[in-house]
Amino acid sequence: MAIINQATRELQVKIVYYGPAKCGKTTNLEQVHANVQNVQEKGKLVSLATSSDRTLFFDFLPIEAMAIKGFKTKFQLYTVPGQVIYNTTRQLVLRGVDGIVFAADSQWDKMQENVESFQNLEENLKLNLADIPYVIQYNKRDLPGAAPVDYLEYLLNNRDVQVPSFEACASKCEGVFETLNMITRLLLHKFINESQRKAA
Amino acid sequence: MLSLPQLIEEDVAVLDAALGDLITRSEATAALVIDKGGPLIIERGNCDDFDTTTMAALAAGSYCANQAIAGLVGESDFSSVYQQGVTHSLLVQNVDDQLLLVVIFRASLSVGAIKYFAAGTTQLIANQMVRARERAPDEGMDLVELNLADTSSLFQRREPAQQRAV
Ligand SMILES: Nc1nc2c(ncn2[C@@H]2O[C@H](COP(=O)(O)OP(=O)(O)OP(=O)(O)O)[C@@H](O)[C@H]2O)c(=O)[nH]1
Ligand SMILES: [Mg+2]
Repeated sequence: MAIINQATRELQVKIVYYGPAKCGKTTNLEQVHANVQNVQEKGKLVSLATSSDRTLFFDFLPIEAMAIKGFKTKFQLYTVPGQVIYNTTRQLVLRGVDGIVFAADSQWDKMQENVESFQNLEENLKLNLADIPYVIQYNKRDLPGAAPVDYLEYLLNNRDVQVPSFEACASKCEGVFETLNMITRLLLHKFINESQRKAA
Repeated sequence: MLSLPQLIEEDVAVLDAALGDLITRSEATAALVIDKGGPLIIERGNCDDFDTTTMAALAAGSYCANQAIAGLVGESDFSSVYQQGVTHSLLVQNVDDQLLLVVIFRASLSVGAIKYFAAGTTQLIANQMVRARERAPDEGMDLVELNLADTSSLFQRREPAQQRAV
């Protein structure tokens, strides 16, 4: 849950990048870290990874922005390890999550892994996926073996309410900021709506 | 999912005083209250030398990982992680379902003493969280009058040209 500290007028939100192994979650955070501008404060990117650069526990990037006037808003971006065996650590990283970016790998031969990772997300979330804001990113659009977006939508974005989805090439920083801005927007709007409902 | 209750000034003052008291009595360097999901709630003491935001995320991850390990070996009575260092040591102590207390102290101090003082502090914090939860079980913050900044482009990408200039 978003942490709201009325005394210090501070809001903290946790966004988790989820998806199959090597789909580009860590790359998303690296690109945000390298290219973001106009933010109040940007922290270090911390990666708990194996020697072969695969995420072992999580990556963590804190950034602070003025999202609501008069409020310090701290965004905490995390990635999970995509490798199937690290399921316990994925569950730990999901603790207290406010919003999710599901990153899919567009290559044809990754379709099963995409679907399984999505199912795994649903299993690991203690909440119903419908109750938590999320967006989908179709990454690696630059590769020749990329499946058509329509097909990916059919596979992964097939619920009653479709969520926003983005084509991306994270290694070239394409689609990275679009994705992040959309999940942020969904989160803040949900948050404001809820507090209005409660205040009413 | 259990979430942190709304904290008002009174809560923050109590937490702040509890941490201040802990530092005075135990001679610890710094103390933090963090959420098990990673966020830092409050810090006190000499924190300038430490990146406390990152420390909070890592300490929460490390505590939860250790708790999961304890579960794997059938150890249910798990409530703290102690990391011994050369100059500074670290104690991460459970507060309640939601929070952890992190104490950073000079390695020359005894961890036993730190644990002893920390036990009183975690109790104070836990009690205050119960009060906060009872005060307003599901009251949100009144954000009606607040205006959302333009979120369509909250995070902006640096122009590639600028990138070359740097
Ligand atoms: N061609 C191409 N390669 C990409 C793209 N995005 C990421 N990669 C590459 O894919 C590989 C894996 O990327 P990571 O970001 O480490 O993947 P991950 O999802 O964090 O993987 P795990 O940590 O194992 O779950 C790296 O070699 C990246 O450079 C992309 O859009 N196109
Ligand atoms: Mg990774």
